[in-house]
Amino acid sequence: MKVDRRSFLGLGLGAAAGIAVSPVGIKLTDDSAIWSQNWPWTPVPVDGEVSYENSVCSLCPGSCGISVRKIGDRPVKIEGRSEYPVNDGGACLHGIAGLQYLYDPARVKTPLKKNGDKFEEISWDDAITLVAGKLADLRKKGSPEKLACIADKEQGSVSGLFKRLLKTFGSPNFYTMPSLESYLEVTAAALHGEGKTIAFDLENASFVLSFGAGIIEGWGSPVSCFKANASRKERHAKLYQIEPRLSNTAANADKWIPIKPGTEADLALGLCAVILKNNLFNSTATANFRGGINKLAAMLQKNYAPSRTAEITGIKAADIEKIATVFAKAKMPVAVFGKGRGDGAQSLKELAAIHTLNCLVGNINKKGGAFVRSKMTYLEFPDESMDSIADAGVAKTKVGRYMNQVIEKVNASSQPVVEALFVYNANPCYSLHDTKSVKQAFKKIPFVVSFSSFLDETAKEADIILPSHTFTERLEDVPSGAGLAKAVVGLTKPVTEPVFNTKNTGDTVISIAKALKGSIAQSFEWESYDECLEGVASEIWDSLSEDGFAVISEGAPSGSAPVNISYIAGNPATVQMQGDYDLTLIPIDNMRLISAGVAASPFAIKTVSDRVLKNTDIVVEINPLTARGLEDGGTATLTTPIGSARVMVNFNEGMMPGVIGMVEGLGHTLNSKNMSNKYVSNKGVNVNDLIGPVIESGSGLDAAFGIKAKISKA
Amino acid sequence: MDSALISEGAKRCSFPKFTIGIAIVGAVLLWGVYAMFLCWFKGLNQTNMNDYYGFALWIWADLAVIAVGGGAFFTGLLKYIFKIDELKNIINFAVIIGFICYSSALLILAIDIGQPLRGWFIFWHANVHSMLTEVAFCLSAYFAVLTIEFIPNILENRQANKVPFFHHLAHNMHGVMAVFAATGAFLSFFHQGSLGGVAGVMFARPFAVREGLLIWPWTFFLFTWSAAAFGPCFTLLVTKITETVTGKKLVKDNVVHLLAKISGWMIVTYIIAKIIDTIYWATVTAPSLGFSLSHFYTNNSFYGYWILITEIVLCGVVPGAILIMKSTRENPTLRLIAVILGTIGVCLNRWVMVLQIMAVPVMSFDTWALYFPSWQEIATTVLPVAYGIILISITYRYLPVFPQENELNYPVEVEPVTEAE
Amino acid sequence: MKQENNKAHKFGMVIDLDKCTGCGSCMVSCMSENNVPFKEDESNKKDSITWMRVYKLTNGKSFPDTEVVYLPRPCQHCGGKGDHGHSPCVSVCPATATDYGYDTGIVSQIYTRCFGCRYCMGACPYHARYFNWWDPKWPEGMEKYLSPNVSPRMRGVVEKCSFCYHRYQAARDQAYAEGNKGEIAEENYQTACTTACPAGAIVFGDLNNPEHKVHQIVKPDPHPDTMNKHVVGKSRNPKVFRLLERLGTNPKVYYLSEREWVRKQGDNYLAGEWDKIKNHHGSSSHG
Repeated sequence: MKVDRRSFLGLGLGAAAGIAVSPVGIKLTDDSAIWSQNWPWTPVPVDGEVSYENSVCSLCPGSCGISVRKIGDRPVKIEGRSEYPVNDGGACLHGIAGLQYLYDPARVKTPLKKNGDKFEEISWDDAITLVAGKLADLRKKGSPEKLACIADKEQGSVSGLFKRLLKTFGSPNFYTMPSLESYLEVTAAALHGEGKTIAFDLENASFVLSFGAGIIEGWGSPVSCFKANASRKERHAKLYQIEPRLSNTAANADKWIPIKPGTEADLALGLCAVILKNNLFNSTATANFRGGINKLAAMLQKNYAPSRTAEITGIKAADIEKIATVFAKAKMPVAVFGKGRGDGAQSLKELAAIHTLNCLVGNINKKGGAFVRSKMTYLEFPDESMDSIADAGVAKTKVGRYMNQVIEKVNASSQPVVEALFVYNANPCYSLHDTKSVKQAFKKIPFVVSFSSFLDETAKEADIILPSHTFTERLEDVPSGAGLAKAVVGLTKPVTEPVFNTKNTGDTVISIAKALKGSIAQSFEWESYDECLEGVASEIWDSLSEDGFAVISEGAPSGSAPVNISYIAGNPATVQMQGDYDLTLIPIDNMRLISAGVAASPFAIKTVSDRVLKNTDIVVEINPLTARGLEDGGTATLTTPIGSARVMVNFNEGMMPGVIGMVEGLGHTLNSKNMSNKYVSNKGVNVNDLIGPVIESGSGLDAAFGIKAKISKA
Repeated sequence: MDSALISEGAKRCSFPKFTIGIAIVGAVLLWGVYAMFLCWFKGLNQTNMNDYYGFALWIWADLAVIAVGGGAFFTGLLKYIFKIDELKNIINFAVIIGFICYSSALLILAIDIGQPLRGWFIFWHANVHSMLTEVAFCLSAYFAVLTIEFIPNILENRQANKVPFFHHLAHNMHGVMAVFAATGAFLSFFHQGSLGGVAGVMFARPFAVREGLLIWPWTFFLFTWSAAAFGPCFTLLVTKITETVTGKKLVKDNVVHLLAKISGWMIVTYIIAKIIDTIYWATVTAPSLGFSLSHFYTNNSFYGYWILITEIVLCGVVPGAILIMKSTRENPTLRLIAVILGTIGVCLNRWVMVLQIMAVPVMSFDTWALYFPSWQEIATTVLPVAYGIILISITYRYLPVFPQENELNYPVEVEPVTEAE
Repeated sequence: MKQENNKAHKFGMVIDLDKCTGCGSCMVSCMSENNVPFKEDESNKKDSITWMRVYKLTNGKSFPDTEVVYLPRPCQHCGGKGDHGHSPCVSVCPATATDYGYDTGIVSQIYTRCFGCRYCMGACPYHARYFNWWDPKWPEGMEKYLSPNVSPRMRGVVEKCSFCYHRYQAARDQAYAEGNKGEIAEENYQTACTTACPAGAIVFGDLNNPEHKVHQIVKPDPHPDTMNKHVVGKSRNPKVFRLLERLGTNPKVYYLSEREWVRKQGDNYLAGEWDKIKNHHGSSSHG
């Protein structure tokens, strides 16, 4: 066959035409569409059967009920649980992001032992043996009281187990981090007697006078407060927010009353003065006051007349009269205290002064008012076995009343006053004021055991980490508190198998106790924490296990509560700020960040405004009038007596002139040589690096509401 | 060394010198190629674009390059359809410039989209309501037309022309070129216009939106008109640059003056239409949506009225005026200034119609966006310029691009008449 | 088979800005529900993917008269001029990767068809559309919480709020399984942001269904607005407004506020214009 140009062309054209009408073109086009769509690095989530499991979130004292959606055995979404007595279906962004804690590869995956400046993995058995060994040595030395424990709260079975361990070991040194609940109890003790706590019936109150409480910024049981606040419109209820800056709560309130930082106690007493002077108080209630109502009235007239109060607080005298009047005359008024989220530093004078308003208008144990209740006692632990070492140890005096005193003593003493320390669900090296001092104290403590799930600032100071399950992996009772009107105990349940080699801390405590043998082990004869919980919570176990919660009380407590106003009538001194710079630095509680406990999740950090966090710089709020020499969006150096930091500046008209605001919850350093979390760590500054404690005389609380500061262009 | 490839009678610089020149520009091209691969393999995070500035340097480059490449279709229209025969002396070059411009646009588009491998979806899943669909189809078709218009010139290379098939093919193509010119003009009318339509149909962007005729916003017609008006400016500018670099006059003055005059009148009529459109938009359209003119021009010092004045007065009215008046048009310096201002003007117009839009917030509480391209964006935008220089260099060296070159530079030596022996 | 209840749905929302606390739960719930990725640095809000984004509005006054309000903004699922389904974004997509559903009113997004030209992003005045400038990456192990009901995206494509379309599909399947073809109970199809909002500020449902809460609050006027014929569905509730309503986008997300300065910031007005039109609402004919 002769292959000439013509036949070649013909063959070629023919072939092309043939291919064009065949399905090859369409098939290849279709295929390339699929090739260009399925990249191997794009995850394809595995499908499976859908199920929903109920549990309770325990990231904050809010104790919201949650519903976890699962695909097969993987949890994929957390939402609020409808009709749960605390939150009725809502959930806050941190709880919703809970799965980012569960699957975080930067978690502590297995027990770790400190070696030099690195952590080494060890087995659980070795870890428990090591801890028990160190503790046994302490007992042998005869100083069991030098074992201390810091937990997030007093209530709950796990804290109960820690307290039991300390007691049978021989130490009185159980501490909790400051929390709204602890402040409510301290206030209750000052005004109503020991063993009590206070709650606020916000969802029924007709007039809420809030002294800086971040009612929609994480104060109390956050979701319950959101709902109570959201129903204001329908209920024709009013909210007045007293605060130096236009917080979200202030912006949402019916009235924002700007006040000079740290003068809230004075304002509260000024309002009390007006109420007493103008006979606006509830005489039935005051008739039963102990501690000298006349003494109180006299003290108030002398020191807190409206003009004097106006001078201190910066609020006009006429307004003070108006606020007091409208508050006292409201149908169901309630005064709310605990600045920001209510944790951090608070002053007893301030809390007691504000609560005195509640006592004066007679809303105690009334609908829409303040409830004074006995602390929840739904747990029944069997009697402990105590040996002589333990008896001797628990009789010793505690190192200090609160954590800040312990830190001070540890730093001041040349001999260790604390030899071993347990830290559970707390991050004092981050959350307490003057973190440098706190870390220094931790370095001085010879043996620190952390139960943290994350390599946080405190865990980094630990000698051994016995990692805890996250809340989606463990069984635990979750008692409500933090001012919630109802008293509810929820049950957090594991919704999945543990992801890593971690344990329920309840189990870890039982193991340590058993390894210590003797009377200690005898007091911990449960096979597991799950068994223990069912036993100690037997009173409410049916309800807990079937419904996932048990309502201990709801509605106003019956009867009245005794009121003793001697503390406040004695006019304790108002705490002043440390330092002598011109400006005032105050911490800001931002709903989207977490001030105490775990760091905010990647999702939460993502929602943080670029006027709060820009790249890795924290942005502070300052009124344009105060910002002379500074640029909006520019960098600056912020200096306090405690430290100095690079910040960026945001001009904000909502901030009182002369005051600088810095959010809590940034500046985490969750990294070490072998682990890091770049999504949430090393961003911004920890405000506690810049504020130091100021101890309130009398109460012993760290009441530093801020600190003097100066700011200059970087 | 390559003299066999050079046209009969033409003089070109030495091959080594030529190679060095190409190599230097080639290095810049390779820089651009590197950036291109970075974008393809790492993704568009290599740019400084963001969700507010989704259209940025590349889209502007696309629009600008297509606008200035409008000289190709317009000159073709004038020569083949309106039979202004003098323009045959510049039409080859206009086609080459057009070819470079459109191939550059297609290349930049391939880099600009997030999923280049799916680029063909614009044809396969076309949405007939979208202006960009129209752009894609007509742009591709017109690029094919430009290629067809380019081929005869290539076939006229001294060596290629020796092959009888190529010689005849070139000749026959010249014969039917009017069809392609008409097709090219038709396609260009639509895609130049659709590019204007891209901005004008965005009814939720008050800075961009325009009223119009049926489905076509006024920007549609303004874009076509401005491409036709300013495209020849670019052709003349590149011709002047080429003349300066080669040291030769390549096109006779009368051709240049003719094209300049046509361009001038197109500019003047365009700028009148543009002024009317701007006034209407500023006083009727935007205010009906709640926007006064000052909203767009008084927020920050960058996006200020200077943009409006530069585009319309300095780079519109002024070049138009220069080119329609014989005395200024025939003054080489003023003419050069005019074509430069004109080119800047049409590029600025394209910038305004895609980038300034992106910067302007629409929601009352939203923010202005500022943008500066990353080096990868700059490199990939310089890439087509380098490619263009190389292609012009090669075609100028080996192809008979300018019919009047020999006449203007190598006059035939007339043997002196000797006295009868 | 019952055919009577086949009137097209028009799913929409009304968000009470007086109840919104700015807490961000809606943002996180949406990201969790829809497999939205996160980067190490999300502080540049111009390339941070947040299908639901909460804006902070201020009245611009100085201390102490400053006021602030938070405004959550999902995709507005615009109906376009005259509410005929020509949303600004749908009209311009060259590959039909985004489409208007006439049965639901929802603007869909097909990730596998989008080739990333970003024209839709330019067209959207609400900036509700987001581009994957990077390949989404999850820290090792975190991909386990991804939901199989929503495709994770790849780089180079646009994504946006879908009114949790996968939940609509699930509700529709459920309705069919229960023999209740066509009628989806109000509580069976709720978006993730709606269910998450702890303050109950978001109300979601069928604007066309008089029994749904969203319809009862918004009371949308089905006729074209007398002052602007492109606008359909203007609210008859004087406290309710839509963002950029006068552009004729006809969004399905309505906002409610008692505060006038907030309602005014919903749109753009020339000097003196607001006072003239602020009392113009949906017509009260047909109750």
